[in-house]
Amino acid sequence: MKTVHPDGWKAFVDRLIAEPGLDVIGVKEKGSRFVFAPLESANELRLDYDVTVLPPKKELLPPNEDLLLFDISKPFDVLAAHDEQKKVLIGVHPYDLIAINMMDEIYLGAHVDDHYEVRRRNTIIIASDIINIPQKAFCGSLGTHVVEKGYDLLVTQLDDRYVVEEGTPAGAELLAKFADAKESSRYDIERVRKLREDLPSRYQRQLHVDKYKWSEILEENYAHPIWDENARKCLTCGTCTLVCPTCVCYDVHDEVELDLERGKRTRTWDGCLLKEFTLVGSGEIFRETPTNRYRHRYYRKGMYLPMRYGFVACVGCGRCATQCLADIADPLEVMNVLASSSMEDKKKLPIPEVKVHGVKQELLVPKAANILYKEPMSDIDTLYRIALDSGEALGHRPGQFIELSIFGIGEAPISISSSPGSGPEFELLVRKIGDVTSKLDTLAIGDKVGIRGPFGNGFNVEALKGRNLLYIGGGCGLAPLRSLINYTLENRSEYKDITILYGCKDPTALLFKNDLESWGRMDGVDYKVTVDGCKSGDCWQGNVGVITTLIPGVDIDPETTMAIVVGPPVMYKYVIRELKQKGLPDENIIVSLERRMKCGVGKCGHCQINGVYVCLEGPVFNYADIKELPEAF
Amino acid sequence: MARAIDIHVEHLTRVEGHGDIFFNANEGKVEKVQWHVTEAPRFFEAMVRGKSYVHLQPITSRICGICSIGHSLASLKATEAALGVEVSEETVLLRRLALHGENLQSHILHIGYLVVPDLFGVGSVFPLVGTHGDAVVKIVGLHRLANQMSDLVCGRTTHPITLRLGGFSKVPTAKELADLKARLEAAKPVIAEVAGLLASVKGNLPQFERETEYIALVDEKLYALYDGDIGSSDTGVHPVSYYRSITNEYVVGQSTAKFTKHVRDSYFVGALARFNLNESKLNDFGRETAQVLGLKAPVHNPFMNTYAQMVEVADSVEDSIAIIDELIDRGVKGERAKVEPRAGRGIAAVEVPRGILFHDYTIDSIGNCTKANCIIPTNQNHANIQKDMEALAPGLVERPEKEIELTLEMLVRAYDPCISCSTHYVSVHFV
Amino acid sequence: MKPKVAFFDFASCEGCQLQVVNLEEKILDLVDIVEVVSFREAMKEHSDGYDIAFIEGSIMRPMDEERLKKIRSHAKLLVALGACACIGGVNKLRNKWPVADVKAEVYGTAALDGNPYFDVLPTRAVDEVVAVDAHVPGCPINRNEFAKTVTSLAFGRKPRLPNYPVCVECKKNENVCLFERGQFCLGPITRAGCNSICPTNGEGCDGCRGFLEDLRVNAMKDVLRRHNVSMDQMLKRFNLYNYRREGY
Repeated sequence: MKTVHPDGWKAFVDRLIAEPGLDVIGVKEKGSRFVFAPLESANELRLDYDVTVLPPKKELLPPNEDLLLFDISKPFDVLAAHDEQKKVLIGVHPYDLIAINMMDEIYLGAHVDDHYEVRRRNTIIIASDIINIPQKAFCGSLGTHVVEKGYDLLVTQLDDRYVVEEGTPAGAELLAKFADAKESSRYDIERVRKLREDLPSRYQRQLHVDKYKWSEILEENYAHPIWDENARKCLTCGTCTLVCPTCVCYDVHDEVELDLERGKRTRTWDGCLLKEFTLVGSGEIFRETPTNRYRHRYYRKGMYLPMRYGFVACVGCGRCATQCLADIADPLEVMNVLASSSMEDKKKLPIPEVKVHGVKQELLVPKAANILYKEPMSDIDTLYRIALDSGEALGHRPGQFIELSIFGIGEAPISISSSPGSGPEFELLVRKIGDVTSKLDTLAIGDKVGIRGPFGNGFNVEALKGRNLLYIGGGCGLAPLRSLINYTLENRSEYKDITILYGCKDPTALLFKNDLESWGRMDGVDYKVTVDGCKSGDCWQGNVGVITTLIPGVDIDPETTMAIVVGPPVMYKYVIRELKQKGLPDENIIVSLERRMKCGVGKCGHCQINGVYVCLEGPVFNYADIKELPEAF
Repeated sequence: MARAIDIHVEHLTRVEGHGDIFFNANEGKVEKVQWHVTEAPRFFEAMVRGKSYVHLQPITSRICGICSIGHSLASLKATEAALGVEVSEETVLLRRLALHGENLQSHILHIGYLVVPDLFGVGSVFPLVGTHGDAVVKIVGLHRLANQMSDLVCGRTTHPITLRLGGFSKVPTAKELADLKARLEAAKPVIAEVAGLLASVKGNLPQFERETEYIALVDEKLYALYDGDIGSSDTGVHPVSYYRSITNEYVVGQSTAKFTKHVRDSYFVGALARFNLNESKLNDFGRETAQVLGLKAPVHNPFMNTYAQMVEVADSVEDSIAIIDELIDRGVKGERAKVEPRAGRGIAAVEVPRGILFHDYTIDSIGNCTKANCIIPTNQNHANIQKDMEALAPGLVERPEKEIELTLEMLVRAYDPCISCSTHYVSVHFV
Repeated sequence: MKPKVAFFDFASCEGCQLQVVNLEEKILDLVDIVEVVSFREAMKEHSDGYDIAFIEGSIMRPMDEERLKKIRSHAKLLVALGACACIGGVNKLRNKWPVADVKAEVYGTAALDGNPYFDVLPTRAVDEVVAVDAHVPGCPINRNEFAKTVTSLAFGRKPRLPNYPVCVECKKNENVCLFERGQFCLGPITRAGCNSICPTNGEGCDGCRGFLEDLRVNAMKDVLRRHNVSMDQMLKRFNLYNYRREGY
């Protein structure tokens, strides 16, 4: 530890400010509150602050950030926009630093977010010990009033001096270069220790339950009346998630200048309390009621993130509690109420274990790809054959998806319809539903699109080996299913009996007619098709009725058969019921689900089904793993 | 000549609001020349009835999109007068700055976008981008600067946010003001250039003169815009509370806006009136610009109203710089006077780009407005426009129809009328 | 082929059209990607052959209704610009009183019956008279939002407005909430897209962009009551731009 005298500390900060090429951002006053903002002089720095309006996460993951710059007057012109500005953050409190450490795990973990990584690498953090405590904070109860790692320097402002602890070589270097610091005396070290020791008792509010028990308590209280009660008062304004240091979800938009040439892809903070957080192109919203959205936030912080990363994602800063106009956002109050309740109904909300597939490229920059072939399959569905300009194969597994970009419009997640095979071409079946897919419909052979991926947990083809396969496809669910069907047909000897059931709205909606025909003619493949309805004069001689009507007639051995089901959300309940009637065990049923996806790698937060990321643990799921999740079906 | 001329300009272009021009002549004699105001009346008097004193400024601001700062200031002054509220010197300085921003924005819009096309024989400013690109870019740059000025002081130009009872809800910092000052200084040579350009085409405007009464705010020291007494070129100086004896509104069937008159059939308000009454108070830059444009009070050619606006552009920029110097010197603190409801009546006058504006409110003891009256500059000009047309028409009758039409249009445009405003006065008085 | 574009105004203050002019240099980009065939406030030329019609202002009189319907029949797309066109705005304040009452107040006993200029009906927003394809809300409009609308239309896609409250933008701007400062604000129930310009400038949101479709009005009333806002104050503020939005 080093000690710096007040004048020396001021000089240190002023020298940092004067240093060219270095932005110094510290805590200063804004009206009656405090914010992190660029410092013009050391006099502005207020290390005695209680809490800032927005947490310092805004310096690492800004409220609005340019991701890509593109020029749509050219066939394919895109550049990643990185913020390489060197920064020093001064005054980060322990709880906020702990939150930054959590954010590091999320953004620098399995899939590294380059934009975040560049900014994080170029930011030096000078944390500071807590001097004043805001009314609603409860860090003492969570142990977040002190922090052990993540800082380059940690400064404690005492009455008459500053004690600085070095956390990293970079921090030590900074201190040596700009400050006049001496080794701290034992007395100084003791004063710092005492200050930290005294903190917990100074908090006005206490949690009645250990944070590591939150998961358990939440398991028991999914149906507690508090969710409804509070949600009734909820404005769903998103304030709680915006001011929270551990909330890191974001949305992505494309913008184009009026010259219709230059544009950019930006990301902006998003929150699960907002109504359209889970909106997909078809207009469906997967977390519709305020109660579900209000409750989700607590479960994410108290159960899902702990399950996934091992940390409880609340640091007790009190910002949400203070700034919520309806006064319902206080985790301390909610957890204290739940802890004292005795609802016995346990609801486990598991996250399936899945092997993570590393992505080989820069995470957010699409690669150029060519439309090689385009064939309409119905009024609203079109088949595209696409290859990356680089000539390399996509390297996908059946069941994975890609994110397709059209600059200026946006990006959409689309399942891959072709089996991996060899070679660079892959196929996408696209339904014209939203902005991106509608624009894609106007493109021609030779036009370029952007491709990111492949993403997601595909079908486990190993686990299917040696089994009987029962494929059930509904509508455009056949698109991802086809990639697996054709893969298994290409490796026919590895699988036993294959049955394919396909149903769609009416004869004009039939997809992949060539494949259907060949499946119908294949030996060793039992293929049945049905349509929901048939307008007279449609030349349809086959079955009429919903897909479930085909299931009873199929003869299968439930123990050795794997059912792979993909279709519109409404279909699953009914099909699964029929399969259960046939005696199929839960773990023999595989499904593929869709949700709103913006990143594809478990960061933007939109695709969550309770604690599960459809883009990471899914879109392919084993029914046994997710059947208990209230938000799944 | 046995020519029958029948001109009807429907919904005159390049003016704010809707008005029609009628011109009928037969055999060399003018039968009818009329200025018709057809704008939909919006009944602002109904909108403020019973409203709280805190809402009078946001509502009356919506009378006009171009002079909303002026309406806001007149409304605030009238409300403050009724409630007995005194604002600080700093607030007055900032309000004067706000008004300059509006004047600049409105005048440059009028000169550059609405009038200049006529001076160059085109239909709008867009074709000038190709032929006089440099000048257009400069005009656009000045317009942008004026908007940035209003953005800084008022939050935004149209329907200002920070102008409130008792003061400002947010004030600029000294750094922001210094930055603005630098940009205003840089604009001065550009303004001189534009003035030069206008001077060079002055001959394209008709040499038409008709002496009328000119009415504007006057002050002992300043070129009056924010504060002053009512000045008349005919009758001298009067207190603002005297306004009704001057405006004398009456309903005319051809117009959804009322007409006004004082000691003559009509009177003129606006930049030309201000120039005629306040010329001696111009600052150096204003005076220089007047010289370049060949203007010396009194000017009786209504087409010169546009040129008087150019003089005011220069004067406003210079005065703004002086105000900023004073504000930086004093330090901007954000002083807001306390405002409590009480019964009272307040009358206020402010010069907006188009002329003198009056707001008159009566407020009851709990703070609700019981009676309100707004006299808009443009509706004070309608009678003058009509009289000018009647005087101008006989001289035009021998000209080609297109020229008659254009000249009459240019006459109305010279007044820079804000027609939407003029049909939205809050008025309950008749003659 | 550049889409042809026309601007029309009805009962309004023309402030929204002024924002189009206020695009400053960007207006040169605008006229590059669309062809402006009619813009009464800025140009003399006029043509009835337009693809996209921008409408500012509310509808007051039968003659206005007729003109609007004619415009609708010419245009492929019709866009309502500003609060007066989108939701009626301040123009609807007079709907509280019967038309005869309001006419008498302004024009007294002047004989105006039969004069079509004065034949006034209760104020209506544009979509209460004809079908509207897109809205650009606000009083006045935000010119960035206008630019985005134009680029969307030029791309052939429907412009999308935010469906979340002003609070989201206010928080991203790190404003200290006005409720904390003893003021009140309609931000939580008003559609975002203005970048919280009024709260950023120290004044509470008045709802000029229109309340959200999914209006959490009871939750909002609770919040206001807890902050000692009287019913009268609440209603006066709600009704400024969103007259009778919830039937009050």
